[in-house]
Amino acid sequence: MRKKLPLLLFVVLLLVAVMHLAFAREEPGLGSLFDWLFAWTGATGDVDQIDEFVFGAIRTPRMLVAAFGGAALALAGTVMQASFRNPLASPDIIGTAAGAAFGGALVIVFKLADMSVFATPIAALFGAVGVTWLVFVLAGSHGRFSVANLLLAGIALNTLFGAVTSFVVTLSFDNYTASSRVLFWLMGGLDARTWEHAWITAGGFFLFGLMVWPRARELDLLTLRDDSAHSLGVDAPRARRSLVWCACGLTATTVANSGGIAFVGLIVPHLARLMVGPAHRLLLPTAALLGAISMVVSDLGCRVSPASWNLRLGVVTAIAGAPYFLYLLSRQRRGAAL
Amino acid sequence: MRNLAANMLSVQLGSRTVLHGVSMNLAPGELVLLAGRNGAGKSTLLRCLIGALEPNAGSAQLHGQLISSWSDPDRAREVAFVPQDTDVPFDFTGRELVTMGRHPHRRRSESMRPEDTAAVDRALNLLDASSFADRSVMTLSGGEQRRIAVARSLATEAGLLLLDEPTNNLDLEHALQLVKLLRSLADEGHGVLVASHDINLFAPHSDRVVLLHEGRALVDAPPQEALAAEHIETVFGVQSRTPSQFFPREFTL
Repeated sequence: MRKKLPLLLFVVLLLVAVMHLAFAREEPGLGSLFDWLFAWTGATGDVDQIDEFVFGAIRTPRMLVAAFGGAALALAGTVMQASFRNPLASPDIIGTAAGAAFGGALVIVFKLADMSVFATPIAALFGAVGVTWLVFVLAGSHGRFSVANLLLAGIALNTLFGAVTSFVVTLSFDNYTASSRVLFWLMGGLDARTWEHAWITAGGFFLFGLMVWPRARELDLLTLRDDSAHSLGVDAPRARRSLVWCACGLTATTVANSGGIAFVGLIVPHLARLMVGPAHRLLLPTAALLGAISMVVSDLGCRVSPASWNLRLGVVTAIAGAPYFLYLLSRQRRGAAL
Repeated sequence: MRNLAANMLSVQLGSRTVLHGVSMNLAPGELVLLAGRNGAGKSTLLRCLIGALEPNAGSAQLHGQLISSWSDPDRAREVAFVPQDTDVPFDFTGRELVTMGRHPHRRRSESMRPEDTAAVDRALNLLDASSFADRSVMTLSGGEQRRIAVARSLATEAGLLLLDEPTNNLDLEHALQLVKLLRSLADEGHGVLVASHDINLFAPHSDRVVLLHEGRALVDAPPQEALAAEHIETVFGVQSRTPSQFFPREFTL
């Protein structure tokens, strides 16, 4: 049954993707979606031009950014937790996401983001890699990481880069458009996502995800101590570095296109582990699918909530994720694995 | 020559010199006990011998070639290692952990082959661990976790086996079973090097004992010679005598 779970989750993902496309505060709805889908596959004739624009140019790229972004964040969290042998490691805990947000905020505030759709992802990647490298330097000793050092370095760098990002944002306060844009981006959201954003998010997921995918057994071995992994044929420090750089790439492309999304990278790997166990051959696809489902559902929640709430995706994932994480902690206190 | 050798190994960790020119050899068919005080450099020596730690001077050689010149999978098929700490932060089953021992034999995305499954089952049986192999490692006792770690090293089917404090947390019966297993592996042609404080348990079954003292190999000789009273006093600072009273007991399976 456990081996078939990814297939089941894929079906669930298709269902929530259809719901994401069909349900919003405004028309068109489910009936129009099917008309559009049938027309798209060539089964029926013409479809309303406005419906075609809404589904084809607005909702589909947004749904794809949510799905691939969620999958990428969950993969990044899974890779980091195994690589650092730490169930608390994730892009938003060890500072990778803060670095990506810092890089992205810089290019938005200084109006470089308008020059190219690739500017924000590239800046986010530099930020993510830079901060994660600092974590390696500060928390590691001869390629080994203690849980306490990792968390302390992550907390320090999260705080530092959060403050620097805030400073960068305040610099833009005399420009209302730039400051509101960067603030909304930092809160995480998928408004006005285009096909370019969808291609970049999907491209980042496939590029870095496919580098991680064949290395499931290495991730299993990294959960042992380095000497054990070494004795079983894995150069642990080198494998850790290359896998964590992949996690940085996954995080950066998502943060660049979705803004700050809390907790998906931390919580989803735990949820996936509860379902299929810690062996990465099954854990990686399960976490990726669960990440995609959770982001699509969270974004759907944003879209169907009252307009006056102006609910942001990052707020929804944090509100849903934090209580679940506390639940996991309470399980651990009762003796279960985190 | 098929062996694992340390040649004048020196290791400095931070400002402290842990090993000073240590030389020793492990050949197929012998069980060697590595003993010494806490901090004498036993674990450091083992880490050098598996190639996990680059010495500051001297070299570790596997079958006559520098250990660092071996590819990771080739070396892992020749030398297996059981570390002192065997904790795992995630909820693997014992069988999943032992299956990791087959990693050096499998290509990157290759599924388990029948010979891999057979090697895992054989290793679990040798350690009397089949009954709890499918339980989460989080629910196993310290001794059961150690037996799983030893089984993982056996699943590699390496000819040379290095173990760091393998009887930690083991009850008397399983400690004796492990000693018997390691002795029989040596008799079958494996080279077995055990770093342990449990001298009374391992020495009677060892071919040689290497006593490390302050980072140097004080003596490398058969047990009766190596564990002479003067060597024990030099290394451990305690007196020793031949037992004549109730303690120590001699235990057998």
